[in-house]
Amino acid sequence: MNIKILGTGCPNCQKLKSNVELAVEEMELKDVKIEKVEDIDKIIGFGVMSTPALVINEEVKSAGRIVEVEEIKTWLK
Amino acid sequence: MNKKEWYKLSYIIIIFLFFYFLPSKTVWFYPALISGLELLREYAREHILTCLIPAFFIAGAIVVLVKKEAVLKYLGKNVKPLISYSIASVSGAVLAICSCTILPLFAGIRKRGAGLGPAITFLFSGPAINIAAIFLTISVLGLNIGLARIISSIILAIIVGLTMNFIFKEKVEESNLFIEKSESKKISPKKIFLFFFSLLAILVVNGLAIDQGLKYWLTALLIIAITYISLFDFSKETNKNWLRETWGFSKMILPLLFIGVFIAGFISPLLPQEFITKVVGANTVSANLIASVFGAFMYFSTLTEVPILKEFIAKGMSSGPALALLLAGPSLSLPNMLVIRKVLGNKKTLVYILLVIFYSTLAGLIFGSII
Repeated sequence: MNIKILGTGCPNCQKLKSNVELAVEEMELKDVKIEKVEDIDKIIGFGVMSTPALVINEEVKSAGRIVEVEEIKTWLK
Repeated sequence: MNKKEWYKLSYIIIIFLFFYFLPSKTVWFYPALISGLELLREYAREHILTCLIPAFFIAGAIVVLVKKEAVLKYLGKNVKPLISYSIASVSGAVLAICSCTILPLFAGIRKRGAGLGPAITFLFSGPAINIAAIFLTISVLGLNIGLARIISSIILAIIVGLTMNFIFKEKVEESNLFIEKSESKKISPKKIFLFFFSLLAILVVNGLAIDQGLKYWLTALLIIAITYISLFDFSKETNKNWLRETWGFSKMILPLLFIGVFIAGFISPLLPQEFITKVVGANTVSANLIASVFGAFMYFSTLTEVPILKEFIAKGMSSGPALALLLAGPSLSLPNMLVIRKVLGNKKTLVYILLVIFYSTLAGLIFGSII
């Protein structure tokens, strides 16, 4: 599984990343690659214009908010 | 020595050099220092609590409660220019409160949304039209120049956007934007309206010239109303997010603002009154041009343009050039320039800067002649 966090490096993006890490940890998932995308052209490439955004397996799941751990878990199933 | 130790050494050297060359034996040093401290005291007493703190709470509430997709919808493709430009010119108040959100929004609107023109409009008006900037300007510089700032920011933003769009004809990419549909929050619009109304009313009440005691009572009542709504109608999650966003703004803006206010007070006794009166004391073309060029290249961190401008006005700056500086200053601050250069390239950035200077000069001239 491939998870990308899109954001230009603001505190909110950090928070989303730690939420994702927590969700992955709690579900004891293996084989997960978490990646941060900070390049603006790449972020726009996903069609996202409000950050932080969450991309799971190349599919945009959320944009412009910090998703809670529980909600992330439902996408990871 | 590792890198960290080198940093420490360089800090110590900088501090040492600062004190070694501290001009404390000069005549001007202590008056300037005292003036800086006095201005900080004035802001702490008159502007921070009554104007900025409520504004931060409003900004935080906007981030949490206002549905972004409702606004973004109008900045997408195939929206009539009339709508996209006018929404872009005012959406800064809702969407772009910190510079880290401006960059993706700007690039997104330009490449996959309404195009270059509305993106520029959004970029220009963003820093000038947020709640904190508006109320601080009114609180410090007066209602006249505060209103002039809002109105001309909106008009100028549209004109600069239209001109950029006219000069550079860009194509928007075919693929669409991702706009997340948020589940409808279970808060009635009436409650949200009442909530924002009470928050705004705190700012307005504190700005009115009424009896101090009455002010306290009204403010207390409004705070009770806000607390009531947030406790009984908002979820715990919403309140937590609201406080987190508010704190985010405060810690981002306040420290730099304190430094800016101190600098404004410090330089105030050093500003040569005759020189300022001579250069920008009248509403001439050259005075407005100088003010906008100065504003464009001088870097003001968020909101610090206001105290610094106040000192210029006290030393004889005329209101036309003052508005020109207010218009060109925040829109062409350093973070903004970096954003547009990165996304637009050198040529378009240069044209944008020239347009901002030109139109700000014009707006200053017009405002100076009607006031």
